[in-house]
Amino acid sequence: MKRWLFAVVAAVLVAVPAAADELLLWLEDEVQAVAAHGPWPPPVPRDPSNRVAGNAAAARLGEVLFNDPRLSADGQMSCASCHVPGRDWVDGRARGVGRVELDRRTPSLWNVGYGHWFGWDGASDSLWAQSIRPILDPREMAGDASRVAALLRDDKQLACGYARAFGAAPGKDDEALLVDAAKAMAAFQATLVSPRSPFDDFRDALLAGDKAAASRYPVDAQRGLKIFVRVGCANCHFGPRFTNGEFGDVGVPFFTRPGEVDAGRLDGLGKLAASAYNLLGRYNDDPTGRSGLRTRHVQRLHSNFGEFRVPSLRQPGPGPFMHNGQMATLEEVVKHYSEVSPDRLHSDGVPLVRQLGLTPRQSDDMVAFLRTLSVDVPPRPQPGPLCP
Amino acid sequence: MRPLAALLALLVAIPALSRPAWADCPLDLGRATGLVVFSSHYLVAFRAEPLRIEVGEPFSLLVNVCTRTNKPAELVAVDAQMPDHRHGMNYRPTIVSMGDGRFRVDGMIFHMPGRWELNLDVRDGEESERLSHEFMIK
Repeated sequence: MKRWLFAVVAAVLVAVPAAADELLLWLEDEVQAVAAHGPWPPPVPRDPSNRVAGNAAAARLGEVLFNDPRLSADGQMSCASCHVPGRDWVDGRARGVGRVELDRRTPSLWNVGYGHWFGWDGASDSLWAQSIRPILDPREMAGDASRVAALLRDDKQLACGYARAFGAAPGKDDEALLVDAAKAMAAFQATLVSPRSPFDDFRDALLAGDKAAASRYPVDAQRGLKIFVRVGCANCHFGPRFTNGEFGDVGVPFFTRPGEVDAGRLDGLGKLAASAYNLLGRYNDDPTGRSGLRTRHVQRLHSNFGEFRVPSLRQPGPGPFMHNGQMATLEEVVKHYSEVSPDRLHSDGVPLVRQLGLTPRQSDDMVAFLRTLSVDVPPRPQPGPLCP
Repeated sequence: MRPLAALLALLVAIPALSRPAWADCPLDLGRATGLVVFSSHYLVAFRAEPLRIEVGEPFSLLVNVCTRTNKPAELVAVDAQMPDHRHGMNYRPTIVSMGDGRFRVDGMIFHMPGRWELNLDVRDGEESERLSHEFMIK
């Protein structure tokens, strides 16, 4: 009996090796590099260009509008059709689908309130301006200002929600009401802050010198994080959000279909300048004008061709990844950076993106680290009535 | 570290400051700190506003331009680049003259961590001269 029991215990120990906690040796400069990716979450900045930013009533109205398909021309599509609540605010497709298939992937909305450029090409300089774009885009919701304005005036719940958010009943100016609807939706989206992740617990424990807590972070993720720090990923994937919010060309093809290219940031800056809703326009609520500083000073450069916004690595959703959804998994993303062709990147200095040449184990470690930036998030309940 | 760099820059500049015209150059830019770059003809004192430059955050520069001959000089251009990666800023700064050789530069953003070289082009006649200073941004 004893021999049999010993055999069973030994078999279990062999089959399931204990996941022993282990803390790698972290040098001071590595600790400082890790520290720069927190603490999480930082306070969400209040957008001065949006007079209802941080207003709870506006956020409630914004969430209702975000889920309302009546904003679209055919009444079939809401913002939530692509930015799916409970699915990390993405649709899981390589390319978004509105009335037609689009050229780019639906980006997650987690932590969007911390940004300063919006959309893969940064064509919008505020979250509220970005919220207008898909409503009006004929390829997406194909709506218009009069439709949105009529909804706010005629739907009793929306009209009541508007009055609570803005302190007055909806007015007669259709375009102003479209902008207000977008500002309410921006107030809602700014509340979408991703939860703390295993990385955050590790980062805080490492800084506090709590070796026991730090050693609970998987050792393969620790190795992956060390690679992330050593090869300079944080040049672009900088700070607590793991993005500097700017734009780069990382060697993903420009072509959307044979003979057609997506010029990315270069086109985005043209659209920004032409937009009636940019921060230099009359819908900016900031009396100081300071919120328009980036828009006033941003340069349109030839090098912007083929650049796309550096995405946050926090809670990106299950994939696909990259601006065009070309890579289905994180493993493919890491493989891309491991094997990217230097000829494609045309860098004449120390390249920001270079062929990393990772071993299979190093690639696995990078993926393990990247996975620790996400957690399972429970489904979001449907918003309740605005004025019960 | 940055105050130390400023102090060292000032110490290096002291022999130059002993020349008559430069002795009147106002180095105090309002927060009891500043950086100095100089050549045989120009001395430029400047500081960032806010003092600490953060990656991706806009900042301004307050600049005093002085010459050895005490003639009025102009700040004609300001730019910055990352020499290692050979790219500049994504933003084009603007210069506003405040009079008496004082200037304010708005719209500066260092969008990546690392070594940045700030270039200040100054002029008091036909030819401009470039004075540079390096920052390490973390």
